[in-house]
Amino acid sequence: MKAGVFFLLLIGLLPQLDLTAGESADAAMEVLLERCVTCHHAKQASGGLDLTSNAALLNGGDSGDAFNPNTPDESYLLERIRTGEMPPEEKGVSQRLPDQEIEILEAWVKRGATWPQGQKLDPFEKTTSHRAGRDWWSFQSIGHPAVPESPLTDRWARNPIDHFIAVALEDAGLTPALPASKEVLLRRLHMDLIGLPPTQEQIQRFLNNESPDAYESVVDDLLASPHFGERWARHWLDLVRFAETSGYERDQVKPYAWRYRDWVVQAIAEDLPYDQFLTHQLAGDEIPDANENSVIATGFLRLGTWNDEPNDPQDYKYERLEDLVHATSSAFLGLTVKCARCHDHKFDPIPQADYYRMATAFWAGPIEPRSSDHLGGPTSEELGYTTVLGWTDLSANPSPLHLLRNGDPKSPGEAISPGFLSLLPALDRPLDPPEKDSRTSLRRLQLAEWMVHPNNPLTSRVIINRLWQHHFGLALVRSPNNFGFTGERPTHPDLLDWLAHELIHPRQELADQTSGQPLNSTPWSLKRIHKLIVMSATYRQSSNPKLHDQYMKTDPGNRLWWKAERRRLDAETLRDAMLMAAGTLETTLGGESFKASIDMEALEGLSRKSSAWQPSPLADQNRRSLYMFAQRSLPDPFLATFDLADTTLPCAERDISTVAPQALALLNGSLAHRMSGQVAKRVTEQSSQPEEQTRWAWRYIYRREPTAAELELGLAHLREQNKRFSDDANSHPASTPKTKWPPELQLALFADQGVDADDAGRVRMWRDQSGKGHHASQSSKVHRPKLPEENAGTGLIFDGQARYLNIAGSLIEGQQSTLIAVATDSGNSGHREIISNWNGGAGNSVTSLFLGMTDEQTFRFSDALAGGFWTGDRQKPAILTAIAGPNNARVWVNGQLVANRGSPLPDRRLDTDWVIGQQGNINGEFWRGKILAVLVWDRALTDQEREQVTYRLAERFKISTQPERPQPDFLALQSLCHVLLNSNEFIYVD
Amino acid sequence: MGGGFTGTALAAMLAQGGFPTPTNADERQHHPQPHFAPKAERVIFLMMNGAPSQVDTFDYKPELKKYAGKELPADKNYINSGGRRVGYLTPEWRPFRPGGESGLLISDYFPEVRKHADKLALVNSCHTDSHAHGSALVAMNTGKTFIGRPSLGSWAVYGLGTENQNLPGYVVILDKRGGPISGQPNWSSGFMSAAHQGTLFRPTGNPILNLERAKYMDRASQRAQLDLLAQLNEQHMSSRQGHDELVTRIQSYELAFRMQAEAPEAVDLSQESKSTLEAYGVGKQPTDEYGRNCLIGRRLLERGVRFVQLYSGGGHLEETWDAHESIEKNHGQHAAEVDQPIAALLADLQERGLLDSTLIVWGGEFGRMPFSEGKDAPGRNHNPYGFTMWFAGAGIRGGVRYGATDEFGFEAVQDRVHLHDIHATILHVMGLDHEALTYFHQGRKESLTDVGGKVIHGILS
Repeated sequence: MKAGVFFLLLIGLLPQLDLTAGESADAAMEVLLERCVTCHHAKQASGGLDLTSNAALLNGGDSGDAFNPNTPDESYLLERIRTGEMPPEEKGVSQRLPDQEIEILEAWVKRGATWPQGQKLDPFEKTTSHRAGRDWWSFQSIGHPAVPESPLTDRWARNPIDHFIAVALEDAGLTPALPASKEVLLRRLHMDLIGLPPTQEQIQRFLNNESPDAYESVVDDLLASPHFGERWARHWLDLVRFAETSGYERDQVKPYAWRYRDWVVQAIAEDLPYDQFLTHQLAGDEIPDANENSVIATGFLRLGTWNDEPNDPQDYKYERLEDLVHATSSAFLGLTVKCARCHDHKFDPIPQADYYRMATAFWAGPIEPRSSDHLGGPTSEELGYTTVLGWTDLSANPSPLHLLRNGDPKSPGEAISPGFLSLLPALDRPLDPPEKDSRTSLRRLQLAEWMVHPNNPLTSRVIINRLWQHHFGLALVRSPNNFGFTGERPTHPDLLDWLAHELIHPRQELADQTSGQPLNSTPWSLKRIHKLIVMSATYRQSSNPKLHDQYMKTDPGNRLWWKAERRRLDAETLRDAMLMAAGTLETTLGGESFKASIDMEALEGLSRKSSAWQPSPLADQNRRSLYMFAQRSLPDPFLATFDLADTTLPCAERDISTVAPQALALLNGSLAHRMSGQVAKRVTEQSSQPEEQTRWAWRYIYRREPTAAELELGLAHLREQNKRFSDDANSHPASTPKTKWPPELQLALFADQGVDADDAGRVRMWRDQSGKGHHASQSSKVHRPKLPEENAGTGLIFDGQARYLNIAGSLIEGQQSTLIAVATDSGNSGHREIISNWNGGAGNSVTSLFLGMTDEQTFRFSDALAGGFWTGDRQKPAILTAIAGPNNARVWVNGQLVANRGSPLPDRRLDTDWVIGQQGNINGEFWRGKILAVLVWDRALTDQEREQVTYRLAERFKISTQPERPQPDFLALQSLCHVLLNSNEFIYVD
Repeated sequence: MGGGFTGTALAAMLAQGGFPTPTNADERQHHPQPHFAPKAERVIFLMMNGAPSQVDTFDYKPELKKYAGKELPADKNYINSGGRRVGYLTPEWRPFRPGGESGLLISDYFPEVRKHADKLALVNSCHTDSHAHGSALVAMNTGKTFIGRPSLGSWAVYGLGTENQNLPGYVVILDKRGGPISGQPNWSSGFMSAAHQGTLFRPTGNPILNLERAKYMDRASQRAQLDLLAQLNEQHMSSRQGHDELVTRIQSYELAFRMQAEAPEAVDLSQESKSTLEAYGVGKQPTDEYGRNCLIGRRLLERGVRFVQLYSGGGHLEETWDAHESIEKNHGQHAAEVDQPIAALLADLQERGLLDSTLIVWGGEFGRMPFSEGKDAPGRNHNPYGFTMWFAGAGIRGGVRYGATDEFGFEAVQDRVHLHDIHATILHVMGLDHEALTYFHQGRKESLTDVGGKVIHGILS
């Protein structure tokens, strides 16, 4: 826009009719550049007309001569302009040139339409009112601006950053906010640098430390923490569209994607210089000292979505190229190069050929359609590593990549030589061909070298801007992935350049002005910049300036940085903070991702429910959210509600929405309830006295003492809720037992009835008590389960050593059924079944029906339902009830619903033989534990019937089915903790 | 609850509706409003997941009888999706008969819908960009064959906002058998605010995730929680400057509390008369599920939900309309599940005076081949080259047939309609210009129809 204003001024200043020939031509060149050559240049000559040179004009276009030397005034060029046909209308709005510009062109055409000596118009050279040229701000060399001084800098500045901020504030007549309080600063620092709140002890230590370097020592500690790597890796992972599956129909797991995540964590924690950080990701396989670690970094090129069933595989490879060009150019360069896939970039000086020049870097890799087993990447042999998700070239000299006219694979144009973006002419050169014995094309390495060249101004500016953005919540350039024409200008261009210069050329002598601690002076060290930023007075401002409302009128976007931004915790930080308040956060670093428990109802969107979600053991679920498995077809519902980044495209900036479903998730969601229960439990471990409990709730959640008024509020809540929950508990009378088993019982095995043992005390026959004669037996002695010595009623012993019983006859015919077992479970890993009709030979390997466990405590009710936890003591007998109903399939433990598939099981094959104690006839997956009873109905029991059966079995086997309903006073405390976890104080950082 | 809300944030929130509170700067500047007078205030998209066969349902091809047993001529090029067996041209599996005064020919798979022929505009000349379910579904929903773009419903809500703050503006109800292939990207808001994404509704009990209170918590005890929460938040706010987002968040809890009452009410069919339930086929098989969903769909539309999508078919293969094995068996089942409910929906909307302001869209992600999958094999393979969708209701000329496939029903040849055209038309009927409805993302004004899309004026009234 600004360039356009400048242009119009220039035209406006021209005296109208008494121009010299030279001036007339210069003015005409301006008009042509501004209005015409975008569409009329050699590579893209609309209507066949090229207006970039004299010779080209004389060639005319598809409609014939544009310029008529004999009667210039009647030239077709002028005719089209005068009628307003050119420039063409846009969205129905005429773009007819202003009269003044038409006059300039007329005057020039009449004089023979000559170009100034030797000049050739270059549409990408200069910025116009509607597009950026190579003179656009972000493509200019990094300046080395002097640090400005002013009265305010003397008074307020802590380091050079503040000088740039102060001067602009003074110019606008604003003053910076006062420094935030120590409490606020510490929480801000912790959340910002490691993504975890400070403990109360850390807060006390900081508040009591009155030395001038108290703040700095916290900064140094946090920057040195491995959690710093975790926190800042999350920002990077958003940017590189990190996920662990391919997306689309099969959504295959990308093995070892997590190692890339760990590499990022470690690289950031160890402050791998950014030039190497970038180079390893683009070309970790091509660098001279390549190793497994650097090849893991190339996982960057493997993270995109990948469709194993594209409409046209030959077309699809160009989609993949676009993903790679886009991820690379937006993450590292802040440019929208992908817009030049079909045509020259509409706004930036990126000719279409440049898109393909950049794309050649990936063309040598596994881009051509191949077996879908490779998930779009190289094989282990090609990569040189078996447990790495990485990228490498398949050839050093691939066939040439052709430019595609209009981006259409069916109209290939010229072959493109490998190269860089031409918008940096000083660095533009053809790529070196690979040496003779090179295994790869070395194009990615050269692209990386071009990016980290000290004279490439984009790379350093873009990363500096990202650091600023995540520290402050807003960036200096508010469009962090777009430094082009349609992006935003920096709020403080000099500050951006000063920091970028410091990044590449760190000055030894720069020291923090407060404490004099020297900063490290490694080139491209990001920690150095982090420290500079968080040590600044700008960063330490309060988010609550006195003149807030007044300043909001002057600068509503806080572009002058007159305050800190109040920020809502992002999805992961919110979850981590809840775990931390609960005292259950597991801070192990790295490793494979865990799968969080997801409400079965949330799994309904999956097309393949049978291979649905299997959550990790609960203990693993206490890890930081960074380690949550990222499946493209199933973003975690809790995190997604709080604006998790979409993983299909690079995400530079998360949305921060505030919507009712978030309130519902925190009010009613299971995570919030579990966490508030955990906090309450922690609190009761400290005290049983309501006043003290209230204090502890405040300490664990807010990390501070309650005020007197808050204490009163908290106590009142405890009292009221306690009364409500007490009333509630008294209003539920016990249900009356029934004495008969519900009808249509198909199988009834009881350990205290009808058990025949052999001489060795092993069970030969277990007689069915249903009257249907479905006795369970084992003819082979070695496979018989053992009878317990003391009392048969305590259950048949299945020790995992291939013990099982075969059931006579067919149990179930319809798709609705009920399987109930009373059992204990000693297994801790792998599948193991109580009852099953699996028979691979008969063809129901994925359509059998069974009830069993897997991993430590997860249920499996056929392979269409894996989920729900047996959380109690599994050595104690429990009643396990599984019902395949018309609308759902559910599992209960001792009458408590633990798993619910919100839709019926897919059709099961039920005509195969039934087996107790292993997965049908699979010869494996043996039960480990006792089985006290097995009951089967050929229909879904009603809720009432299910409760009756539960009651009878509980009586018979002395099992307590009373849900461990916490006491009203505990529930009241949980309610209080729950409210605090929902509050604004918990979720916002000042 | 105490006072002290700054009016602007609250007003903005109410204007946006409780669901969308966009935070993207460009979105904030965007005010939902139609570009011209809308015909349809709301849309219900009946999504026949898996792809129904056009030549067996709404695209009568008498020539197929003549060519039966022959191969499709060799000059007809196509991708043989999944490398399945290629068989012989096969005529319709159930006869076509004229319906209504218009006499539109509709097959016996849809005898009930046929009675409403005069309301329908059959578009026989649809074509799309992919032969694979995963990418074609995403294309039908988002305009592109790759995942990551905002879906049609997101654009509708972005363009027009929502009318009922207590319900989401864009609701998707899936088939019990499962979700569509590719899952969530089918109702994603892509690069738009998550507030615009489709909300999955379950047709029984508590329709939205997290709507149900914990077992020990009843309305009164949760109200007590919210009251304490409001006091703590009020106190937190009183010592701080700049309240907008704090107020919005406080307000979101009150909305959530109200939604707990209103959303279950929207799916509570006990309020419907026996005759209505019967008309939709609720309570009997095989219509119960889709009948329920259509009825809930109507209730949502009545309550101001902007865009409703009801899936028929979920999961894979025969659980959907993907009739590789047998048209008669597959479509016999799926059509029987939806025919009566859809007819009831058309009649009910008309009776309630909602048909004039509601657009109904019916169709799958592509069509099916006019030939079988082998000699005497009764199924048909995927066909993105020609298929039928139909429209009814607001702004639609009923009783018309638009465009045509070739004599085999293989590919669209006359008045071809690309899926971008379908999207452009749906937006147009809602008063939105598909070229002007843009969202600025990463340097580009993105739109649903990208650089394509023509409104199908031939079917508009």
